[in-house]
Amino acid sequence: MTYFFQNVVNALQWGSFYALIALGYSMVYSILMLFNFAHGDIFMVGAYIGFGVATLLVAMSAGGAIVLPGWLILILTILISMFLTALLGMFVERVGYRPLRDAPRASAAITGLMIGIILETGNLWLLGARRVSFPSLIQTVTYDVGGVILTNKKIMIVLVALAFMLALHLFVRHSKWGMAMRAMAFDYVVVPLMGVSINTIARMTFAIGSALAAVAGILFSIAYPVLDPYMGIVFGWKAFVAAILGGRGSIMGAALAGFLLGFIEIFVAMAFPSTLRDLIAYSIIMVILVFRPHGFFGEPYSAKLRL
Amino acid sequence: MRKIPYLLVAALVAGMICSPLAWSKTRPIKVGINAPITGDNPKVGEGTKFAAEMWLEDVMAAGGIMVGGVRYPVQLVIEDNEYKPESAVKATTKMVIEDEVLVLVGPQASSQAVPAGGVADSYATPMISPWSTNPNTTKDRPYVFRGCFLDPFQGPVVANFIKGEFGFTRAAVLYDVAADYSKGLAEEFKKAWEKINGPGSVVAYESFTTKDTDFSSQLTKIKNSTAEVIFTPQYYSEVALIVPQARDLGWSKPIVGSDSWGSADLVKLCGPACSGLFFSTHYAAAGAAGATKEFIDRYQAKFGYVPDDVGALTWDSLRIVQKAIENTGKLSGKIEQDRKAVRDAMAKIKEFEGITGKMTFTEDGDPIKCAVVVRITESGEFAFHKSVCP
Amino acid sequence: MQTVSQIIPAADKPRRVARVFGHTPFLAWLLGAAAAVLLEHLLGETFAGLVGLSKVPVLFGLMILMSKPLLFPGALLYVAVIYLLPLLCVAGLLTRPANLVAAALLRFGPAFAVIVHLALFYGVLHFWADISGYRELTVKFTLIAVLLTLSLNLINGYMGEFSCSHPGFMALGAYGASTFTLTLFVNNPLFGKALLPGFLGPWLFPLGLVFGGLLASLGALLIAIPSFKTRGDYLAIISLAFLFIVKSLLENLPFLGGPRGMGGQPDYAGLPVVFAWTAMGVWIMNNYVRSTLGKSLNAIRDDEAAAEAMSVDTRHTKMTAFMFAAFWAGVAGGLFAHVMRFINPATFGVQRLAEMLAMVYFGGLNSVYGSIVGAVSLNLLGEALRPLELFKWIFIPLLLILVMIFRPTGLLAFREFDAVRLVRPLDRDSQGGAP
Repeated sequence: MTYFFQNVVNALQWGSFYALIALGYSMVYSILMLFNFAHGDIFMVGAYIGFGVATLLVAMSAGGAIVLPGWLILILTILISMFLTALLGMFVERVGYRPLRDAPRASAAITGLMIGIILETGNLWLLGARRVSFPSLIQTVTYDVGGVILTNKKIMIVLVALAFMLALHLFVRHSKWGMAMRAMAFDYVVVPLMGVSINTIARMTFAIGSALAAVAGILFSIAYPVLDPYMGIVFGWKAFVAAILGGRGSIMGAALAGFLLGFIEIFVAMAFPSTLRDLIAYSIIMVILVFRPHGFFGEPYSAKLRL
Repeated sequence: MRKIPYLLVAALVAGMICSPLAWSKTRPIKVGINAPITGDNPKVGEGTKFAAEMWLEDVMAAGGIMVGGVRYPVQLVIEDNEYKPESAVKATTKMVIEDEVLVLVGPQASSQAVPAGGVADSYATPMISPWSTNPNTTKDRPYVFRGCFLDPFQGPVVANFIKGEFGFTRAAVLYDVAADYSKGLAEEFKKAWEKINGPGSVVAYESFTTKDTDFSSQLTKIKNSTAEVIFTPQYYSEVALIVPQARDLGWSKPIVGSDSWGSADLVKLCGPACSGLFFSTHYAAAGAAGATKEFIDRYQAKFGYVPDDVGALTWDSLRIVQKAIENTGKLSGKIEQDRKAVRDAMAKIKEFEGITGKMTFTEDGDPIKCAVVVRITESGEFAFHKSVCP
Repeated sequence: MQTVSQIIPAADKPRRVARVFGHTPFLAWLLGAAAAVLLEHLLGETFAGLVGLSKVPVLFGLMILMSKPLLFPGALLYVAVIYLLPLLCVAGLLTRPANLVAAALLRFGPAFAVIVHLALFYGVLHFWADISGYRELTVKFTLIAVLLTLSLNLINGYMGEFSCSHPGFMALGAYGASTFTLTLFVNNPLFGKALLPGFLGPWLFPLGLVFGGLLASLGALLIAIPSFKTRGDYLAIISLAFLFIVKSLLENLPFLGGPRGMGGQPDYAGLPVVFAWTAMGVWIMNNYVRSTLGKSLNAIRDDEAAAEAMSVDTRHTKMTAFMFAAFWAGVAGGLFAHVMRFINPATFGVQRLAEMLAMVYFGGLNSVYGSIVGAVSLNLLGEALRPLELFKWIFIPLLLILVMIFRPTGLLAFREFDAVRLVRPLDRDSQGGAP
């Protein structure tokens, strides 16, 4: 039984990343109906920005310029990286997506893919091929709860991820901007005629999605402190799976699908030989989609790629 | 508008005056470097490139390679294989045919070295892969050599070491199912371990996929088995994730690794969690003496970090190449003939004193060389523990 | 909705050029190219030495531009004298006779004319590639890429689904064909002794390719059947899952070599074989998209409900399209495996998917021309920009972004490819004979 609960804990942590990244992906996907294939790489850049900020702050603390405790550095790192990554997201929207708003959706997906490659290569060029390690800002404390091993980092990661999901949910459901976004998701042809600027909404969507990617990036680097320029690729594709599995027009669905993906991966590895993990995990997803052809929370629709 | 043709002609003439740069008297010896500069594992490419540049500097400082009383200048042709097999094949073909290289060094990883080795062999161009551990790279290919030991050697080395050092009887293996290096070594280890401790003594044989970062499920499974030790033949960047995660999950028994751990970055990325662990590798950086130490110090001074095993192996391979070229005695200037001569000279090299140990090539072009087991000290150095020779 | 084909006016050439070359048929251009490659064969080496190059510039001097800019003027001169001069002279001089010959050829039937042109084209390609093994390899990979791109275009362009499964089909084809040839004709550690004598190999190789293609078609059923109900983005996920499943499956089958891959395929895929298969594939796929079945693909893309109402059997159409496209992707995979003579599961991952998508969307959706242009240009660019190393992967994506911004459906989207139109004579007196 402890074995099972240990895996629940593992899956919660793993699912949190998928959920957070899928959330950012789904913002763009649900509201603007675009595949944001650059998202995985924005996540990577977010992690690297977090790395830069944290290293800088740690060095300043060590140098005695300003002495900050670890948790404060962490909060500052998250906030600064969110801001900078949001700027990057807006930039990506401006150059890569806005010119293609009326183009086939798949073309915008290609632009996203290409922006992703540029971000990876640019990073490789700027920082070299060495992998960097994220400074450890808080000491790991291990708790043993009836045989299930928890660490303070795991708990923090899950809680922070949940907090951001809740905040986003409240924002989308209960603020004026959130309403505008939902309206845009409902019909992006008519809503702009009602005086809602699609450019503002698009920019904002990308900013929020990218900020969430930065949060995910930093949490990720706390749990897995080895960063490399290509770390975002796999996450990009998995977030794509989670966002769509959640269902079009359902941001929270994406978060749930992210958790589901995490649980599937962890539990398949638990129950079957782990060599077959991808095989079984993706077969499950395929079967789910065959029986729920519109994802979990998506509305049935007949429109296809806008070609 | 009418001036444009004249300008064009002028430019062409200027270009043709400059172009005799290509017509120097002694044609330089070209050495092709096939390295993954972009792609999944750019660190390997960087190490290769840096070692090659250092070698070139040495050779050029001496005025070139001395063959039969003539000093030939050396030129490196560095091609990026993007860590993809087809790109490695294209790069090899390009270097063999277009650049007319005398010898090829690389590709490093087996997934590129196996197909590229086929190309090099079919064009009768000597190739040495410093880092590829897959037997197929050199098998039945007279023109292909390698600079490191193979999986069937390293697997038993680790198994015997664990048995002798700790006396354990039950082991767990955690490896990347999609990486040929890890998978090959995991299999060899399993075979060797079960030979020593009887069938079923590998109590957990867990895997993940390249680029995974969370191993909690597999490690939980291992922890719940009766394993006394984990063997994980993974790249250092993954080890830096595996070891702390295992520790966080309450695994306090030893974790043992293979030559892919051999990067100074391991300690930097992994931190204190990795100290006290053992792995088998090509050479021990800490406490090295002689040429090995000199190489490490120079590399560190030049590029700012202690070289990885790829760097050291590439260096050795280039030195072997140099020795083989020198041993030919004479270069005819006919590329096919010279390639054959270099290949023959290389096959004849005996007891080559490399920084990663003494090497003699077998029939297949694989070196017979020793492995060392190193311990990661508390201060983060790789200290020599013992040496295992075939 | 941009369903109506874009009508792009023919580029306004300067009038003088139009007077000379306006009536030059494709045949004359081919003959000009033939003259150029023959000239290169005879004089290439000498002339390259004359302009200060140590070797014949391999890809029209593009590579020299990047690696040794000082030599570029020489390369430019080489291209002008060896390629452009004979091409233009011969094409111009032979305009009249070529028109007569083209008209005569058409009298034997359009298929005959096309085959003669193809043979001539192959000759040009053969002599061009003959200069260097590197050229030959590049040509082979490019031809395979054409086949792959076109087969992906069937789904993503003509049918309008966003399919991510093509590397999976390619993998099935590659492994299928390799298993076929390795078991039958080669002694190898995976499958043991050869079952048939080796001299049969090259003759039965097409069977192996077809076998690989059929295996891929069978795999395509896994996507085609869900596609009846699941559409659009959800189908994209199914296809992506399919890709992951195939890759994971191949990694877990030790008798296929697992992650270590499968090597030692016999050298059956020479340039003529690859060319013949590519030409055949393009021909058949082009006929397919121009048939009623192909047109119903477009109908499904534009409005599935309406198509259904207009008596299009959507299930049948989708299933055929998926299986047909997968078949050609499988054939391309089989050729790829025999050109590389090594395959491993990692070759068929998301990276290849990104590459293939880039070729399709760069070249142009819903267009055979587009697929050819996309595959050829990105392949040649990828080779020519090698000297840039890291920056290659900044330059190519930037180029693609620009293309997407200025031509969102790709360079040559929504064009019909009509081989007979291409090979007809272009002067007024013989036009009567052409259809």
